[in-house]
Amino acid sequence: MDIRAGEFLAIVGGNGSGKTTLAKLFNGLLRPTAGTVTVGGRPASGRTVAQLARIVGYAFQNPDHQLFCSSVEEEIGFGPRNLGCTDAEVASRVEHAIEAMDLNHLRKQPPLSLRLGDRRRVSIASVIAMSPRVLILDEPTTGLDAAETKDLMAHICKLNREGSTIVLITHDMKLVAEYAARVVVVAQGRILLDSDPRGAFSDPEILRQSNLEPPPVTLLAHRLSAHGIPKDVVSPQELVLRILMERGAGR
Amino acid sequence: MTGFVDLYTEGDTFLHRMDPRVKIVAVLFISVLGFILQNLTSLLILLVLIFLLLFLARASFSRTMFALKFVLRFMILIIVLWPIFDPSGLPVLATLGPVKITEPAIWRGVTSAARVGCLATVWYILMFTTSQRDLVRALVKLGLRFDFGLTIAISLRFLPTFSALYDSIKDAQKARGLELERGSVLRRGKSYLAVLVPTVVSALRTADTLSLALQSRAYGASSKRTYLRELRMRRSDGVALGVVVAILVVPALARLVFQVPI
Repeated sequence: MDIRAGEFLAIVGGNGSGKTTLAKLFNGLLRPTAGTVTVGGRPASGRTVAQLARIVGYAFQNPDHQLFCSSVEEEIGFGPRNLGCTDAEVASRVEHAIEAMDLNHLRKQPPLSLRLGDRRRVSIASVIAMSPRVLILDEPTTGLDAAETKDLMAHICKLNREGSTIVLITHDMKLVAEYAARVVVVAQGRILLDSDPRGAFSDPEILRQSNLEPPPVTLLAHRLSAHGIPKDVVSPQELVLRILMERGAGR
Repeated sequence: MTGFVDLYTEGDTFLHRMDPRVKIVAVLFISVLGFILQNLTSLLILLVLIFLLLFLARASFSRTMFALKFVLRFMILIIVLWPIFDPSGLPVLATLGPVKITEPAIWRGVTSAARVGCLATVWYILMFTTSQRDLVRALVKLGLRFDFGLTIAISLRFLPTFSALYDSIKDAQKARGLELERGSVLRRGKSYLAVLVPTVVSALRTADTLSLALQSRAYGASSKRTYLRELRMRRSDGVALGVVVAILVVPALARLVFQVPI
């Protein structure tokens, strides 16, 4: 598979389907037993994780696995410092990351005592501060409430608009329908499907093979397909529009 | 990694079926015997008997080698170092400056190595034929306070979990450009802080949750504890205990009372 610069890609699959394994190949945490991984046009083999981390940032599922400093600022500065940036460079990257994840009010707080949503934003900010061109987010919305999720995704979309490639690992199909431009369905260590969300959701059978289900709005569209509603609806607005159109046509 | 923590291998040999209390007593007795025996020949006979047990317990060769690899290195170290640091006895075989190599010292080294081999192997047999749950259960039945038993069981249970946690955290920090293998000792120590702090914090969080889970299942509600599985001595266990006692008592009497040099 190829991931092009600036894409917003979702890797979806049930638990144990291999989505995290796939993503860990991208930054060298895992190495392929067969085949090759190419990052930024050059083979990943022979480059260390630390070298690849300049290009591919990876925010782990559990923010508690990354946080250890006594303040948010320090935490975010850890990555750039590892990359050998000068103090001035570290400071400017920290500012940028704090702004990107909207953490200004928390900058002096100890990250481990923040609430989960904030901890996760800190851990993502600490990866952003390394200015990777690709940002991998492993289930970034687990344990977040609706408002926190919306807030986090808004920040991530902004990064994407600014040119970052986003790889989102999730099994939240609503999230995928709303944000991703491309969906890769993984099951039992294989890629079953690689398409846009419309294509991925129009065939529930493929998703079922990976223990997934299309988002409720698409399921509703499937039920209504006998009434002339297309099966590839991915948002409530679109469904409403389609139903109105259908009624208009029927009259 | 888990191989380190839990040596237990499923099996259905008589050693697997034996009452764990008998096994613990047997291992203690044979260990004591290992210290009583002073003669290389008798220790080697004991070692052969222990290896026979290993064979009867159908120990897999590769796992045994993995587990005993460190002991083997230790034994070789003893054999090499003993004559160097023990100049007593005659005849002297070689002199190299202040170092005197004597023949009795070499034999003493080999004897000690054989003793270490006996002890390690016999404990290994206990560990790989007895599940940790049975081991803890037996210790509690032998008089260990139940809370201590539970503490041991929980610690053993969480070792692989924390080892996986540690690996995951190491990966997470590597993804942030941390290089654990580079730099001076001081810098490396500082780097490990980035892995250790999240590990400890996560472990404490886990411990907190675990204690809540225990309480919500009414742990400690009644001071007298009942058991789902009772340990019961069968006739074969009695026979095994008798054999083990004989294996200890006969040589012990021979050596300590009748002064037979074994």
